[in-house]
Amino acid sequence: MTAECHTEPAPEAAKGGEAQTRSGLRVVLVGRPNSGKSSLYNTLTGGNAHVGNYPGVTVDILEADVALEGGRIATVCDLPGFYSLAATVDADTDEGIARRFLDAPHDGPRLVTQVIDATQLGLGLTLTKELLRRGEALQLVVTQNDLLEADDRRLDATALEAALGVPVCLVTGRDRAARTRVLEALTAHPLGATSAGTWEPKALARSVIRSIEAGAPSTGILGPSRRQRATAALDRLLLHPLLGPVLFVGIMTLIFAAVFLVADPASDAVNWVMGLLGKLITRGLGNGLLASFLVDGVLGGAGTVLAFMPQIVILTVAMELLDATGYLARGAFLVDRVLRFMGLSGRSFLPLLMGHACAVPAISATRIIRDPRERLTTILVLPLMTCSARIPTYALVVSTFFSDRGALFRAALFVGLYFAGLLAGLLASLALRRTATKGRGLPLVLEMPSYRTPQPLLVAKKGYLAAKRFLRDVGTTILAVAAVLWVLLNVPVPGRGSPSDPVIERSVAAAVGQGLEPITRPAGFDWRMNVALVGSFGARELMVGTMGVILGVEDADNDTTTLAQKIRDAKKPDGSPQYTTRTGLSLLAFFVLACQCMSTVAAIRRETKSLRWPAFVLAYTYGVAYLASVLVYQLAGAFGIA
Amino acid sequence: MGACLDNVPVGQTIRVRAVSLSSEEREWLGAVGIVAGEVLTVLRRAAFGGPMHVRTEDGGEFAIAQSLAAAIETESAG
Repeated sequence: MTAECHTEPAPEAAKGGEAQTRSGLRVVLVGRPNSGKSSLYNTLTGGNAHVGNYPGVTVDILEADVALEGGRIATVCDLPGFYSLAATVDADTDEGIARRFLDAPHDGPRLVTQVIDATQLGLGLTLTKELLRRGEALQLVVTQNDLLEADDRRLDATALEAALGVPVCLVTGRDRAARTRVLEALTAHPLGATSAGTWEPKALARSVIRSIEAGAPSTGILGPSRRQRATAALDRLLLHPLLGPVLFVGIMTLIFAAVFLVADPASDAVNWVMGLLGKLITRGLGNGLLASFLVDGVLGGAGTVLAFMPQIVILTVAMELLDATGYLARGAFLVDRVLRFMGLSGRSFLPLLMGHACAVPAISATRIIRDPRERLTTILVLPLMTCSARIPTYALVVSTFFSDRGALFRAALFVGLYFAGLLAGLLASLALRRTATKGRGLPLVLEMPSYRTPQPLLVAKKGYLAAKRFLRDVGTTILAVAAVLWVLLNVPVPGRGSPSDPVIERSVAAAVGQGLEPITRPAGFDWRMNVALVGSFGARELMVGTMGVILGVEDADNDTTTLAQKIRDAKKPDGSPQYTTRTGLSLLAFFVLACQCMSTVAAIRRETKSLRWPAFVLAYTYGVAYLASVLVYQLAGAFGIA
Repeated sequence: MGACLDNVPVGQTIRVRAVSLSSEEREWLGAVGIVAGEVLTVLRRAAFGGPMHVRTEDGGEFAIAQSLAAAIETESAG
């Protein structure tokens, strides 16, 4: 099918002043979620995007410049999907952000382009009416016409245009001619103010969708489309009361297995390259302080950041695939009842799932949660989900203290740590919903889109943007913390120890670690462990590397075997082992619970627009982590665990 | 007066007669297209009192919490 556009010719007066009035034209793409808006944005801009800077709008809104006829440029902005501008509850949700954007004063002409799914025309026209009431210069782009035609129905665009008084353009998502037609239509748009008229959305939708054979308007209830029938068949399987949850757990397990299977070799490759670069620097600069700073501080930090990238990208791509196919909403449907135990709803499912890769993008993803209390609760418990940055420490502890146990035991311990994070989140959420975020919540209303085939280019673009955001939001923090940590570990405190002692034992970090020993001794942590914990306060990714530096193991991130041995061999002055299984269990308890991530704290600050909530998260996670570590260490001792 | 939506059997098509909710919740339901007069088909219920899966006349499908469904009064669609 080709794109079909219906536009009233622009008045001559408007055409005359076109070159001037259209300079700085901003085209704002709006639409309900799953209307095909992202696909149209991609078609119009060729996938290009940069983050726009809009006053009063603190979140990322993608925009790109596109060339119009006559060499003029228009900026296309992609707003988050939303159902209504009238029913806005929280200014920080997707609807709130869209509304703030549209309400903000704007320089130059603006054209709102609403994307509507032809198979759900009546629902889309409800939003059209709201936009017309605002007097927005409006253009409609109706997508999914191929699906309508597959059911022997067609949309009478001329009749729709006449009823609405705005140009209507029909396209399909994968139509190559769509770009030209839509751009032509927006070039010719008179950009005049509009009014709502007296039409009723559902009645209008029925009157303009006609049977292809008869040419008469559809009357009565429209039967389910072919896609809806296919969706219903799939749902019978995927939402089956017994089989559905089993398949859901299977799909989630597959995703996490893929993350580890694919990401591990990629992370190893990154580490190998960093190791090679480090050797080159050492060869060029010798073993001096500068080389140490560059290799251990800067390269070490950069390597840590890059080693996590594959996991972040793979999990983001997996999420996008699930979202684009329509399965993510099914997951939310299936787990809603479970999440209600936590005082949350199915809407929190996506952020909580994303939190298992990295809490920072997951905190941004809470914007899809409409209920402000539920959104805040989700933000506050997200740091407890087992993000990928915890894995290296878990792996180190498991290989250090449980290497003599079978593979099954170690795997069960790993799974147990994931569930410990979920359990901690459940308990924290229950406590929060009865205290800090108390109050009646908005019950679940969630669209269940028809299943679709994802567009690889769109999914790839999302993966690329996730990687870019991770580098910006998390990477810079890790790099800065790694550099500061190097200084603290390598600068001796004047007059401390004898010059023959290793620098690390005379360092600022060691002084801090020893100062903390009275507090951390009940949890089994000595000054070295304290230094590593203080070092991982900013970024828990740095724990393993820091332990390596303290115990004199080069390249600890790549080779944990030597580090594990060093930890086992470390002795107290009386000759007994410094670190035992008890210490390992205590450290695991601490890592499950503590929010050792400044990027997460910054993201909470950004999303809640307050210092109170990030401070609260730091206080409650560290407080509980300390108590849990002490409890685990003491109980393990009481039960005779060495 | 017909049954509330939470009591409508799976597979049955009904018409929404009234929505007895706070204005905030009513507006939100209205935004997705569930208003008085709308025709809904109940597709399924999630286990253990989980949400209901319904289809609107326009072809939109939604998951609705049981507590909301209990506030949606229905009548015969015929």
